[in-house]
Amino acid sequence: MIHVQHLTKVYNDLTRGRFVAVDRVSFTVRPGEIFGLLGPNGAGKTTVLRILSTVLQSTSGIALVAGYDVATQSAEVRRRIGFVSNNTAIYDRMTAWELVHYFGRLHGMPKDVLANRLESLFEQLRMNDFRDVPGSKMSTGMKQKVSIARAMVHDPPVLVFDEATLGLDVLVARNLLSVIRSLRDAGKCLIFSTHIMSEVERLCDRIAIMHRGRILDTGSLEDLRTRHQEKDFEELFFGLLSRHEQAEREPKDGHDPDEWTCNPVSCAPLPLDASLTNSTLSSDPGGKTS
Amino acid sequence: MRRIPTSINPNRSAVASESNQPRLSAIALIYVREMRDQLRDRRTLFTIAVLPILLYPLVGTLLLQIAQFTRQHPTSICVIGSENLEQAPPLLGEDNFADGFIAETDRIELIIHRWDEFTRDLDVNSHTERWVRDGTFDVVIVIPPGFSDSTKVTEDTVGSGEANPSIQLLYNVASDQSLVARDRVMRILNQWRGGWVRERLADSGVQLSVLDPFKVTDIDIAPERTREAALWSKLLPFVMLVWAMTGAFYPAIDLVAGEKERGTLETLLCSPALRSEIVWGKLAAVTTFSMMTAILNAGSMLVTSTFVFRQIGFGADGTSLGAPPLVPMLWLLVALVPLSALFSALALAVAAMARSSKEGQYYLMPLMMVTLPLVLLPLLPGTTLSTGTSLIPVTGMFLLVRALVEGQYAMAIWHLPIVLGVTAGCLWLAALWAKRQFEDESVLFGGGDQWEMRQWVRHLWRDRQTAATPAQAFACGAIILVALFFGKLAVTEMPSDFAAMSMLVLIPQFGLILAPTLLMATMLTTSLRKSLRIRMPMWTTLPLSVLLGVTLHPLYVSLAQWISYTYPMSEQASAAMRPFGEMIGSAPWMSVVFLMALVPAVCEELAFRGFIFGGLVRNDSKLRAVIVTALLFGISHGVLQQSIAASCMGVLLGWVALRTGSVLPGMLIHFTNNALSVSLERISTSNWEGAKIFVRTTAEGPEYQPFWIVVASAVAVTCLLYFGTLRDTTDDLESDLIELDGPVCDPAASLQGASA
Repeated sequence: MIHVQHLTKVYNDLTRGRFVAVDRVSFTVRPGEIFGLLGPNGAGKTTVLRILSTVLQSTSGIALVAGYDVATQSAEVRRRIGFVSNNTAIYDRMTAWELVHYFGRLHGMPKDVLANRLESLFEQLRMNDFRDVPGSKMSTGMKQKVSIARAMVHDPPVLVFDEATLGLDVLVARNLLSVIRSLRDAGKCLIFSTHIMSEVERLCDRIAIMHRGRILDTGSLEDLRTRHQEKDFEELFFGLLSRHEQAEREPKDGHDPDEWTCNPVSCAPLPLDASLTNSTLSSDPGGKTS
Repeated sequence: MRRIPTSINPNRSAVASESNQPRLSAIALIYVREMRDQLRDRRTLFTIAVLPILLYPLVGTLLLQIAQFTRQHPTSICVIGSENLEQAPPLLGEDNFADGFIAETDRIELIIHRWDEFTRDLDVNSHTERWVRDGTFDVVIVIPPGFSDSTKVTEDTVGSGEANPSIQLLYNVASDQSLVARDRVMRILNQWRGGWVRERLADSGVQLSVLDPFKVTDIDIAPERTREAALWSKLLPFVMLVWAMTGAFYPAIDLVAGEKERGTLETLLCSPALRSEIVWGKLAAVTTFSMMTAILNAGSMLVTSTFVFRQIGFGADGTSLGAPPLVPMLWLLVALVPLSALFSALALAVAAMARSSKEGQYYLMPLMMVTLPLVLLPLLPGTTLSTGTSLIPVTGMFLLVRALVEGQYAMAIWHLPIVLGVTAGCLWLAALWAKRQFEDESVLFGGGDQWEMRQWVRHLWRDRQTAATPAQAFACGAIILVALFFGKLAVTEMPSDFAAMSMLVLIPQFGLILAPTLLMATMLTTSLRKSLRIRMPMWTTLPLSVLLGVTLHPLYVSLAQWISYTYPMSEQASAAMRPFGEMIGSAPWMSVVFLMALVPAVCEELAFRGFIFGGLVRNDSKLRAVIVTALLFGISHGVLQQSIAASCMGVLLGWVALRTGSVLPGMLIHFTNNALSVSLERISTSNWEGAKIFVRTTAEGPEYQPFWIVVASAVAVTCLLYFGTLRDTTDDLESDLIELDGPVCDPAASLQGASA
């Protein structure tokens, strides 16, 4: 459902000059799977997700969402993706109902279908209590629920959560994670980016650990633990990060930081075969992509 | 070390390419949302509706009170030396001016002192000055002793050269009250003096009619509608355009910079709405608010001012302040649509650069400063609708509306196509700019860094690229223009000989155009050659460039003549330039060609089609590069007529630079054009018989033969068609490289290869 290969993004920054925010990142996410992007702040998670949602353009590499290229078929991609960011940004002068309705209309949903969809969505997310409350009067939790409803209104096959639990209280965050699980159970393809390890441990089927624009390793939690012979996930995470930083500091040892820890099997991009084409994915949402 | 290009596929735009056409339904949806959102905003409502409805009545009330205050405030006047008027016709009554000098409504407090009251103890001058300065009296009239006697005109004194006696009137220019009082007293004194003169003439037996041998009767032949609309035709378009600008600014800031600040823009960009749909929806909303603000303000002002003027009696003769005719006012509303859209598109594009509403306000102020002269220009005396003025954006539409309001339909219709064309062109460019801003991720998401001088300088040096960045190109153009401006100011006297004139050309060319360019190219880029676009183009383009320069010159001369006809040069400017022509005509030909053709061709081309064009053409901004470079090139020529012609030539040179990827063909065209310009007179007067085929001598100077103009134009078009077939070489120059550690292949290419 999502296929990313050698995705690279180079910025020209006043402080750092030209720097590679995302460096040849490759991964695949299947339908009915929650893929976790774990990394500290500045690891490049948001940049990857923004490229997937077509808000940013990659410098090089390929990213396919539901079989469509984010670079050349962005409109098609946006019709099939829902994006929830961490800033809970909603319009201050629109009510919850108006906002979700507006985005449903932008997705071209007929009014009657949209009305039914909104009713069920507001019921599902328990938003009826504040459906007529304007954005400026909403709490952070309410705003996040509206953001989720906005992302789900057109029932997209792919949903992206970018540090969606940031700033939420425990109860709201727990509810959000519960919603994400139910979406997975409904066969959606989900990417969940965070820097909170406990959320990844509890939620994600597979994890990619990112640091300084690179994916250091990818796999299920068990795979990672076995591969690195470390049961404590926090230790595993920090161990990977510190080894990567050390390798970057000492590149003259003949140790290529590209290859230093990345498991060649888990990091290898999937071949672009017939299973990745749009027609196959559209007709067979559950079809295997590898 | 590995090197990867920053852009594997340079044809990719900054944002995902979208083949879909904008949907009207999506635009309407975004428009309705933005309108509803803005109408729910108290600040917007206050600006567009509450303010105009309240502001003008409040200002009107204030004006009425001021007018009333001015009328009711008594003018305090002190007269010193009243006894010196005994022999003169009566000016003063018992406690005021004599009857007939003041109206019943005039409130004047008059204090009269005799001269001898002062001379005993006090100094008249010092006290009268102090009284006026501290406001004890608004004015003081000092009538010196012996005034009446000295005014007696006898046969002996007439023509004797003796100075006329004078009355001193002391007033304070720093006080408005004092100025008002002075005007009143002057009126009274003039009236008194006139009566005195008539009395004396009558005593001398002179008929008073000799003073007034004839009368002048002025007849205003303007139609009644024009007279009624005289003031409104100037004032209303001005007010509406200023408010249209102001009305576009706040919504534009809120709809773009505000959305960026709140984070909702990213949400919208993730939706299926295309960038173009977002831009058109927002543009329509901003335009609507711009128009609403203009209409409400103009309407409120019209109603209030008509009422106020009537109350204070201003324009009571009804010649200039009648209500404007209704039908032409509708034309004003029609004209408001494209102008509001133009201002809105500009505001939207500029607001997109800002990260917050506050920052947006800073950015929009310069835009207003740039646009305001175009609105003020039509208010200058003598500015009327002509081919020249109709070509000026905003000004042309303003003057067209004025002509319609005044009922000059024939003139308006004649210039309508030009004005519409210019306005539509500007609107299209502004909308295109706004759309590009929304497609540029560095505009939408960049600029998060805190700016620091040290960091910035370090960044300039560390991140040098093979060619200039767009910002560096703009900076170079601005530096050249500012340097040329101050360079011109430094020239205090006209050159007296060819040597002095040479210095006047060489210093700006080398010192103010080439030097900053070379300095920036050396300091800010890694390759002087690439940044100046010095590269060998396809060899055929070089002779064809010379041919193009030769064959385009007749058209260029015709263009220059048309520009001189449309925008005539003032006598003063023509006189100032005449010595240049004479010196060029008498100087050695080779020197003139070197000075006027070779030097400008090299210096200006390296600056404009080299460094500046190279910077602007990046990121696939070809149109921007051609247009902006041409405008900078034109403005650098200083004189308006030359600037227009140079801008037109600049477009062509830019296009050639784009097609050939090199600065050299432009240099050749530029050189050929200038060389022919300075040699045309010599060619026409030369002994070579063949010259007559191409050039003829007329009273106005040398001119191309019509036959040659036609043939040359055809050859020029053929050359241009050839240049049009050349492959665009921009992308080759644009691929800046950055250094990374490790080889990188283009995965897109490899995948495509695999799938194939």
